[in-house]
Amino acid sequence: MILVKAIVRPEKSDYVLAGLLEAGYPAVTKVPVFGRGKQRGLKVGDVHYDELPKEMLLIVVHENDKDFVLNTILERAKTGTGNFGDGKIFIQPVEEVYTISSGVKE
Amino acid sequence: MKEVMAIIRMNKINATKRALNAAGITSFSATGRVLGRGKGLVDYRILKGAEEGYVEAVSQLGDGPRLISKRLISVVVSDDWVERTVNAIIEENQTGTAGDGKIFVIPVTEAIRVRNGETAQGASGGNVLDSSGGLE
Repeated sequence: MILVKAIVRPEKSDYVLAGLLEAGYPAVTKVPVFGRGKQRGLKVGDVHYDELPKEMLLIVVHENDKDFVLNTILERAKTGTGNFGDGKIFIQPVEEVYTISSGVKE
Repeated sequence: MKEVMAIIRMNKINATKRALNAAGITSFSATGRVLGRGKGLVDYRILKGAEEGYVEAVSQLGDGPRLISKRLISVVVSDDWVERTVNAIIEENQTGTAGDGKIFVIPVTEAIRVRNGETAQGASGGNVLDSSGGLE
Protein backbone atom coordinates (compact mmCIF):
# COMPACT_ATOMS: atom_id res chain seq x y z
CA MET A 1 0.00 0.00 0.00
CA ILE A 2 1.09 3.57 -0.55
CA LEU A 3 0.10 6.87 1.03
CA VAL A 4 -0.61 9.64 -1.47
CA LYS A 5 -0.24 13.01 0.22
CA ALA A 6 -1.61 15.70 -2.04
CA ILE A 7 -1.47 19.37 -1.15
CA VAL A 8 -4.09 21.17 -3.23
CA ARG A 9 -5.91 24.47 -3.36
CA PRO A 10 -8.79 24.51 -0.83
CA GLU A 11 -11.28 25.53 -3.52
CA LYS A 12 -10.23 22.56 -5.67
CA SER A 13 -10.40 19.88 -3.00
CA ASP A 14 -14.12 19.20 -3.39
CA TYR A 15 -13.69 18.72 -7.13
CA VAL A 16 -10.78 16.34 -6.55
CA LEU A 17 -12.77 14.39 -3.94
CA ALA A 18 -15.74 14.09 -6.29
CA GLY A 19 -13.42 12.77 -8.99
CA LEU A 20 -11.91 10.19 -6.66
CA LEU A 21 -15.35 9.07 -5.56
CA GLU A 22 -16.49 8.61 -9.15
CA ALA A 23 -13.36 6.64 -9.87
CA GLY A 24 -14.09 4.33 -6.95
CA TYR A 25 -11.72 5.66 -4.29
CA PRO A 26 -14.09 6.93 -1.62
CA ALA A 27 -11.69 6.72 1.32
CA VAL A 28 -9.82 9.94 1.94
CA THR A 29 -8.83 12.24 4.81
CA LYS A 30 -8.66 15.99 4.41
CA VAL A 31 -6.40 18.13 6.61
CA PRO A 32 -6.37 21.93 6.52
CA VAL A 33 -2.76 23.15 6.33
CA PHE A 34 -0.75 26.30 5.66
CA GLY A 35 2.38 26.46 3.60
CA ARG A 36 4.53 28.08 1.03
CA GLY A 37 6.35 26.79 -2.00
CA LYS A 38 9.26 27.60 -4.21
CA GLN A 39 7.84 31.06 -4.96
CA ARG A 40 8.16 31.95 -1.25
CA GLY A 41 4.54 32.75 -0.77
CA LEU A 42 2.61 35.39 -2.60
CA LYS A 43 3.24 39.10 -3.03
CA VAL A 44 0.25 41.32 -3.74
CA GLY A 45 1.30 44.98 -3.85
CA ASP A 46 3.14 45.66 -0.63
CA VAL A 47 1.64 42.75 1.24
CA HIS A 48 3.62 39.54 1.40
CA TYR A 49 1.70 36.38 2.24
CA ASP A 50 4.18 33.94 3.68
CA GLU A 51 1.80 31.09 4.44
CA LEU A 52 -1.02 30.24 2.10
CA PRO A 53 -3.96 28.07 3.09
CA LYS A 54 -4.04 24.67 1.37
CA GLU A 55 -5.70 21.36 1.95
CA MET A 56 -3.78 18.13 2.33
CA LEU A 57 -5.50 14.99 1.10
CA LEU A 58 -4.34 11.70 2.54
CA ILE A 59 -5.25 8.72 0.38
CA VAL A 60 -4.01 5.19 1.00
CA VAL A 61 -4.27 2.90 -2.04
CA HIS A 62 -2.69 -0.19 -3.53
CA GLU A 63 0.45 0.27 -5.61
CA ASN A 64 -1.47 -0.78 -8.71
CA ASP A 65 -3.89 2.11 -8.34
CA LYS A 66 -1.16 4.70 -7.93
CA ASP A 67 -1.07 6.04 -11.48
CA PHE A 68 -4.81 6.27 -11.74
CA VAL A 69 -5.19 8.20 -8.48
CA LEU A 70 -2.28 10.45 -9.41
CA ASN A 71 -3.77 11.26 -12.79
CA THR A 72 -7.16 12.01 -11.25
CA ILE A 73 -5.61 14.44 -8.77
CA LEU A 74 -3.28 16.03 -11.32
CA GLU A 75 -6.10 16.55 -13.77
CA ARG A 76 -8.58 17.94 -11.26
CA ALA A 77 -6.36 20.05 -9.00
CA LYS A 78 -4.93 22.03 -11.88
CA THR A 79 -6.14 25.57 -12.57
CA GLY A 80 -6.26 26.41 -16.26
CA THR A 81 -3.12 25.20 -17.95
CA GLY A 82 -1.37 25.02 -14.60
CA ASN A 83 -0.31 27.83 -12.27
CA PHE A 84 2.05 28.29 -9.35
CA GLY A 85 0.28 27.27 -6.17
CA ASP A 86 -1.65 24.35 -7.62
CA GLY A 87 0.10 22.13 -5.12
CA LYS A 88 2.29 19.09 -4.81
CA ILE A 89 1.83 15.36 -4.46
CA PHE A 90 4.05 13.20 -2.26
CA ILE A 91 4.02 9.43 -2.10
CA GLN A 92 5.11 7.40 0.90
CA PRO A 93 5.20 3.66 1.47
CA VAL A 94 2.74 2.22 3.98
CA GLU A 95 3.80 -1.07 5.51
CA GLU A 96 0.72 -2.06 7.49
CA VAL A 97 -2.92 -1.04 7.42
CA TYR A 98 -5.40 -1.86 10.18
CA THR A 99 -9.14 -1.31 10.28
CA ILE A 100 -10.00 -0.40 13.85
CA SER A 101 -13.63 -1.57 13.80
CA SER A 102 -12.65 -5.15 12.99
CA GLY A 103 -9.03 -5.05 14.15
CA VAL A 104 -8.09 -6.76 10.90
CA LYS A 105 -4.75 -6.17 9.25
CA GLU A 106 -5.14 -5.69 5.51
CA MET B 1 11.48 3.32 13.32
CA LYS B 2 7.88 3.67 12.25
CA GLU B 3 5.22 6.30 12.27
CA VAL B 4 1.87 4.93 13.38
CA MET B 5 -0.73 7.24 11.87
CA ALA B 6 -4.24 6.65 13.16
CA ILE B 7 -7.53 8.26 12.19
CA ILE B 8 -9.95 7.94 15.09
CA ARG B 9 -13.30 9.22 16.29
CA MET B 10 -13.41 12.75 17.72
CA ASN B 11 -14.66 11.67 21.13
CA LYS B 12 -12.02 8.97 21.57
CA ILE B 13 -8.98 11.22 21.66
CA ASN B 14 -8.74 11.50 25.46
CA ALA B 15 -9.31 7.80 25.99
CA THR B 16 -6.65 7.06 23.37
CA LYS B 17 -4.18 9.38 25.09
CA ARG B 18 -4.75 7.54 28.35
CA ALA B 19 -4.46 4.15 26.69
CA LEU B 20 -1.18 5.06 24.99
CA ASN B 21 0.13 6.41 28.26
CA ALA B 22 -0.79 3.20 30.03
CA ALA B 23 1.03 1.24 27.32
CA GLY B 24 4.17 3.28 27.98
CA ILE B 25 3.96 5.48 24.93
CA THR B 26 3.99 9.04 26.20
CA SER B 27 4.99 11.06 23.16
CA PHE B 28 2.72 11.60 20.22
CA SER B 29 1.21 14.37 18.18
CA ALA B 30 -2.36 15.01 17.21
CA THR B 31 -3.86 17.15 14.51
CA GLY B 32 -6.98 19.14 15.25
CA ARG B 33 -10.09 18.26 13.31
CA VAL B 34 -9.63 16.48 10.01
CA LEU B 35 -12.41 15.58 7.61
CA GLY B 36 -12.64 12.19 6.06
CA ARG B 37 -14.69 9.52 4.47
CA GLY B 38 -14.20 5.81 4.26
CA LYS B 39 -15.55 2.94 2.26
CA GLY B 40 -19.10 3.40 3.55
CA LEU B 41 -21.24 4.70 0.75
CA VAL B 42 -24.18 5.55 2.97
CA ASP B 43 -24.50 8.04 5.79
CA TYR B 44 -26.22 5.97 8.44
CA ARG B 45 -28.20 8.89 9.83
CA ILE B 46 -29.67 9.50 6.40
CA LEU B 47 -30.34 5.79 5.97
CA LYS B 48 -32.17 5.71 9.30
CA GLY B 49 -34.18 8.78 8.34
CA ALA B 50 -35.07 7.23 5.00
CA GLU B 51 -36.22 4.05 6.70
CA GLU B 52 -38.49 6.14 8.89
CA GLY B 53 -39.88 7.75 5.75
CA TYR B 54 -38.59 11.32 5.90
CA VAL B 55 -38.70 12.85 2.41
CA GLU B 56 -35.58 14.98 3.00
CA ALA B 57 -33.60 11.89 3.94
CA VAL B 58 -34.87 9.88 0.96
CA SER B 59 -33.90 12.67 -1.44
CA GLN B 60 -30.36 12.60 -0.13
CA LEU B 61 -29.83 8.88 -0.65
CA GLY B 62 -27.22 7.95 -3.21
CA ASP B 63 -25.59 11.35 -2.96
CA GLY B 64 -22.28 9.77 -1.97
CA PRO B 65 -20.70 9.80 1.45
CA ARG B 66 -20.38 12.97 3.50
CA LEU B 67 -17.08 14.01 5.02
CA ILE B 68 -17.08 13.25 8.72
CA SER B 69 -14.94 14.88 11.43
CA LYS B 70 -12.13 12.75 12.79
CA ARG B 71 -8.90 13.21 14.71
CA LEU B 72 -5.54 12.31 13.22
CA ILE B 73 -2.85 11.13 15.62
CA SER B 74 0.69 10.25 14.81
CA VAL B 75 3.06 8.27 17.03
CA VAL B 76 6.68 7.64 16.10
CA VAL B 77 8.01 4.47 17.72
CA SER B 78 10.75 1.97 17.12
CA ASP B 79 10.01 -1.18 15.14
CA ASP B 80 9.46 -3.46 18.13
CA TRP B 81 6.93 -1.09 19.67
CA VAL B 82 4.68 -0.90 16.63
CA GLU B 83 2.56 -3.88 17.60
CA ARG B 84 1.99 -2.63 21.13
CA THR B 85 1.01 0.83 19.87
CA VAL B 86 -1.37 -0.57 17.26
CA ASN B 87 -2.99 -2.89 19.80
CA ALA B 88 -3.44 -0.08 22.32
CA ILE B 89 -5.15 2.09 19.73
CA ILE B 90 -7.35 -0.70 18.42
CA GLU B 91 -8.40 -1.83 21.87
CA GLU B 92 -9.45 1.65 22.94
CA ASN B 93 -11.15 2.71 19.71
CA GLN B 94 -12.92 -0.45 18.63
CA THR B 95 -16.70 -0.17 18.81
CA GLY B 96 -17.24 -2.69 16.04
CA THR B 97 -19.15 -0.37 13.72
CA ALA B 98 -17.98 1.32 10.55
CA GLY B 99 -16.30 4.64 11.19
CA ASP B 100 -13.93 3.53 13.93
CA GLY B 101 -11.01 4.58 11.76
CA LYS B 102 -7.85 3.25 10.23
CA ILE B 103 -4.24 2.81 11.30
CA PHE B 104 -1.37 3.19 8.86
CA VAL B 105 2.22 2.22 9.61
CA ILE B 106 4.75 4.28 7.66
CA PRO B 107 8.54 3.87 7.78
CA VAL B 108 10.58 6.75 9.22
CA THR B 109 14.27 6.85 8.36
CA GLU B 110 15.51 9.38 10.84
CA ALA B 111 14.39 11.33 13.91
CA ILE B 112 16.17 14.40 15.22
CA ARG B 113 15.57 16.14 18.53
CA VAL B 114 15.44 19.88 17.93
CA ARG B 115 16.66 20.83 21.40
CA ASN B 116 20.18 19.45 20.98
CA GLY B 117 20.35 17.85 17.57
CA GLU B 118 20.46 14.26 18.85
CA THR B 119 19.49 11.77 16.20
CA ALA B 120 17.96 8.33 16.40
CA GLN B 121 17.87 5.66 13.76
CA GLY B 122 15.98 2.50 14.48
CA ALA B 123 16.28 3.02 18.22
CA SER B 124 14.58 0.76 20.72
CA GLY B 125 12.10 1.86 23.35
CA GLY B 126 8.69 3.45 23.26
CA ASN B 127 9.82 7.00 22.88
CA VAL B 128 12.19 7.09 19.99
CA LEU B 129 14.04 10.15 21.15
CA ASP B 130 13.94 9.35 24.84
CA SER B 131 17.36 9.47 26.44
CA SER B 132 16.36 6.78 28.91
CA GLY B 133 17.47 4.00 26.63
CA GLY B 134 15.51 5.18 23.61
CA LEU B 135 18.34 6.93 21.86
CA GLU B 136 21.12 5.07 20.19
